[in-house]
Amino acid sequence: MVEDGPKGLRIAAVNPPARALGVTEGLSFTDARARAPQLEHEDIDRAADAQALAALAEWMMRWVPLVALHGEDAMILETTGCDHLYGGEADMAAAISAKMTASGFAHCIALASTPGAAFGLAHDPARSEAPFICAPGREKADLAGAPVTALRLSADASQLLRRFGLTRIGQLYTVDRKSLARRFNSREAADAVLLRLDQVLGLKTEPLDYVYPAPDYAVRLPCPEPLGDLEGVKEGLTRLMAKLTAELAGHGLGARLFDLRAFRSDGSVVSLSVSAARAVRDPAHIHRLFRDRLETLDPGFGIDLLLLEARRTSPMAESSPPLSGDLAGEGADEAALSRLADRIVAKLGEGAVTVSAPFESHLPERAERRLPYRGSLPDWRGQTAETGLRPLRLFNQPEPVDVMAEVPEGPPLRFVWRRVVRKVTRADGPERIAPEWWLSLAAPSSAASLKGATLDWLSPKMDPRADAAQIEKIRTQLQEDARAETRQALPRARDYYRVEDDTGRRYWLFRDGLYGDERGGTPRWFMHGLFS
Amino acid sequence: MDFVRLQSSARQGSYPVLKPEQAAFPYGLARTGVHEVAEAAFGDHAALTGFVLAAMPRSHDLSILWVSMHSRSMDHGTIRQAVTQHLAGRVPAILQVRTGKLFDALWSVEEGIRSSAVSLVIAELTDADFTATRRLTLASARYGVPVILLMPYTREGATAAEARWRVSAQPSSQNIFDPRALGHRRWRAVLERSRRAPDHVGRVFDLEYDDEALSLSLVSRLATRSSPPGAPDYEIRQAG
Repeated sequence: MVEDGPKGLRIAAVNPPARALGVTEGLSFTDARARAPQLEHEDIDRAADAQALAALAEWMMRWVPLVALHGEDAMILETTGCDHLYGGEADMAAAISAKMTASGFAHCIALASTPGAAFGLAHDPARSEAPFICAPGREKADLAGAPVTALRLSADASQLLRRFGLTRIGQLYTVDRKSLARRFNSREAADAVLLRLDQVLGLKTEPLDYVYPAPDYAVRLPCPEPLGDLEGVKEGLTRLMAKLTAELAGHGLGARLFDLRAFRSDGSVVSLSVSAARAVRDPAHIHRLFRDRLETLDPGFGIDLLLLEARRTSPMAESSPPLSGDLAGEGADEAALSRLADRIVAKLGEGAVTVSAPFESHLPERAERRLPYRGSLPDWRGQTAETGLRPLRLFNQPEPVDVMAEVPEGPPLRFVWRRVVRKVTRADGPERIAPEWWLSLAAPSSAASLKGATLDWLSPKMDPRADAAQIEKIRTQLQEDARAETRQALPRARDYYRVEDDTGRRYWLFRDGLYGDERGGTPRWFMHGLFS
Repeated sequence: MDFVRLQSSARQGSYPVLKPEQAAFPYGLARTGVHEVAEAAFGDHAALTGFVLAAMPRSHDLSILWVSMHSRSMDHGTIRQAVTQHLAGRVPAILQVRTGKLFDALWSVEEGIRSSAVSLVIAELTDADFTATRRLTLASARYGVPVILLMPYTREGATAAEARWRVSAQPSSQNIFDPRALGHRRWRAVLERSRRAPDHVGRVFDLEYDDEALSLSLVSRLATRSSPPGAPDYEIRQAG
């Protein structure tokens, strides 16, 4: 595999026969050709490699729940508590190795107490054949013969170590830490080497970035005979659900997110997830959320493992429904509402169901907020004293209106909105709504910058050959732009009018700005809402 | 498909036809079955919304599933929940669903009916064919959740709904304190179709909504022809 480097083609990856001929990674392609004239080569596709590695990591979830990716060609599996399911560490490593060989992946497996040691042992060319299991406490001895490149260092750091003559990890053990750090020209590089060494030996912990964070609760259903149809998957889901909800009930918990992962026998994985507005653990309800989505799940050549995970768990208040309507509290049945919302969200997608919540603001467009429904309705009590009359329907964006007959400090007599002339028969107002100054605390662009370098530079005196008219045009444009900027930067007070036209439709118009407020040009008119 | 038979079975199946003297406004709007409320012309949608909210029963634990399609809220704005209390008496619990597809909107309406979690389903749709309204009608009859479909002015043709109203905005009433200002809002609602009260089809209701008393009242045809602004009605002024 070759790739383009700064000095021509370089070798990016080699297979064992080529390595035997002395071809290594990082060698320039011409040198490699000189060593092995019959070398076959191809461009490396790193994006595809990364994708394949991610898919492989997903597949690895069938062995252990926690899988982390490292670099372009390595994966770290957290096997704690999982190995006994496969008959011990040796059997597990052998089983993974057999599966990988069957799928045609070249691999090296090593098990150790720390991720760093496992990585180093797997990258030790001396023992790349069978899976290697490092007994706890023997990392230091086992790793002594491994090359320093297996320490997960940057290319510069490992090259520097090689120049010092330190090629084996074992050689680093004897070097005094302080003198080792002194040899590097930068503190970061020295720290990186020492940190990696400590992580390998388990002196420092190493947090791993897992592909999927650990689920709060998970149940799995291995299928001896791969499931080929949806009926089987449904049945499997029912069983998993019963197990998972029983476990959740035992802890008094409910979950808001459920992931179903189906591992196909050909090595690919499909997953479905449903979310709930509030924590739930009712199997019938969760099953119903999955029901429509299950049809999109393609079993392929058969599914041999189903995995159901519960995430975002939280304590769930267990309450029995009231016996009669009189005993029920005031308001809607929120549990029933959230079940309805869950079903709609499962079908239409996240964010399809919203509620409006009051918000303290004078600006009409900010006075109500739309929030995704999270299982509880906002409290609207005490929101009765609203100032002024507000329209029933409000536009998300005020729409510009052309006013044909304008009266200063009064409502228009005629205006054009959506290309239709509307004659105003009645109006009342204005209701002045000042901008919320605390929202625009940023200093407005100063007038001095208007006469800044750009405008001065455009003086016709500077270059007599320049086209004076053209320069004047650009200057006008620049000045207009500068003015438009100040208009946007400074919010203006609005005068709102309730207006009725001759057909009886009632509008809410506003004039953006006052005459002579020096916050921009002539005030413009906007349509903001419709009264019923 | 025997369309006529289907239509007649819908008439016989779900709705007992009321005697003319029993039928009265609002003919079960927001109380039973599926009602369509359509604009008389483009731009009457806000009036439609106000009419529906004002005609709703005053219940203290009203919860609404409000399904709206993007194109309709782009054209006519989105509903402001704080304002609904001026029409419905108090702020109802509203669960809003937004979608761009008619299919998804109808599905959500049906899901809302079947869940029985809400006491009313209101949907702002661009269209609905006979089959869709029939399906919603059957679901509504079975689960007892009333449905109101707010339709655009293009809505014509067959429907399985219990009734279809055609609503337009009317000039507001005389404001006794300021003749140039807006008064109480008025709407004209025409009962275009009705399965429950077929004799009343074609009736015109001129309605006036009193903001202070929160009451919807019928006004006579004469009174709706309010005098032009600028020429105050002195008799009313003296009375007020």
